[in-house]
Amino acid sequence: MLATLLLAAVASGAQPYRLLGSAAPDFTLKATSGTNLRLAEYRGQVVMLAFWGSNCGQCGDQLEAVSRLVDTYGSAGLTALAVNVDDNVAAAARFAAAHPVGYPMLLDPQKQVARAYRVDNLPMLLLVDRSGTIRWAARDYKRDSDVGYQEQVRVLLDE
Amino acid sequence: MKHLMTLPAMLLVLCGPLAAAGDEPAATDTRALDEEIQSIKTDAIALNRDLSILEEELLFPANTQVAVFLSMDVGDFFALDSVELRLDDKQVTKHLYTPREAEALLKGGVQRLYLGNLKVGNHEIVALFTGKGPNGQDYSRGASLKFEKSIGAKYLELKISDRQARRQPEFEIRDWE
Repeated sequence: MLATLLLAAVASGAQPYRLLGSAAPDFTLKATSGTNLRLAEYRGQVVMLAFWGSNCGQCGDQLEAVSRLVDTYGSAGLTALAVNVDDNVAAAARFAAAHPVGYPMLLDPQKQVARAYRVDNLPMLLLVDRSGTIRWAARDYKRDSDVGYQEQVRVLLDE
Repeated sequence: MKHLMTLPAMLLVLCGPLAAAGDEPAATDTRALDEEIQSIKTDAIALNRDLSILEEELLFPANTQVAVFLSMDVGDFFALDSVELRLDDKQVTKHLYTPREAEALLKGGVQRLYLGNLKVGNHEIVALFTGKGPNGQDYSRGASLKFEKSIGAKYLELKISDRQARRQPEFEIRDWE
């Protein structure tokens, strides 16, 4: 199954994401709501990690696509965490307010988490399986990406 | 017709015990395999624990080791958000607390916040606590302690407690002699 996902990632045309198949680095970040959230506390659920910036054109669309997936599959064990990498926290908060989603928006102004996850493009979406392993990565967003996201999510939820 | 009906019945009677006898070893094999897997898992966990202890002993030998723990008592006047720890004016760790972590501390949990090495001599530790104060406002306080590191491990405890008389939280650093 892992090999299939790795091959799918390679087949998508992008250079394979280097952390595929490895344990997702744990982190704690402050959310725009003021609460601190830790990735390890979501163990047992499939987690979508969406890295975004307020100057990124496709990020808003991707965040909305992820929100739709969480609405559909949330009860089956899917959750999402959006990680903002802006230097300016106020700009990130404004963007988050303008794009309300049904999952937490985390702030990473020091980019420690972005560095740990080797984020090299925005938007970037990662799927972490129930045991905490990074299983899938997407480095861009297109209108037809939703179908691919849904397929990958369902594979991991079925495990 | 009578013979046709009795033949399957006879076959069932003859073959039944054979089939049952064939299933039994399979079930036993599966049980034995399960037990073997469980035993391997237990061994792997024990090995992992031993390796962790060995790694810790190598990275933080007893004569230079310094460990800092955090505990909370009551917490009516302070909701913990983060702790920043500085040793000899150098930040060594900063921890953000999730509501679950803070709750675990309030239930009596003790967190090992930092484990590192220090040479023998005089040192200073500074802890900066942030969170919500008695009236829900942002609250930030510091605590410091000068201590002497001798040969042997040094254990320090950051303790957050409520000072009922002043209705304020209290922050202290204790040296476990």
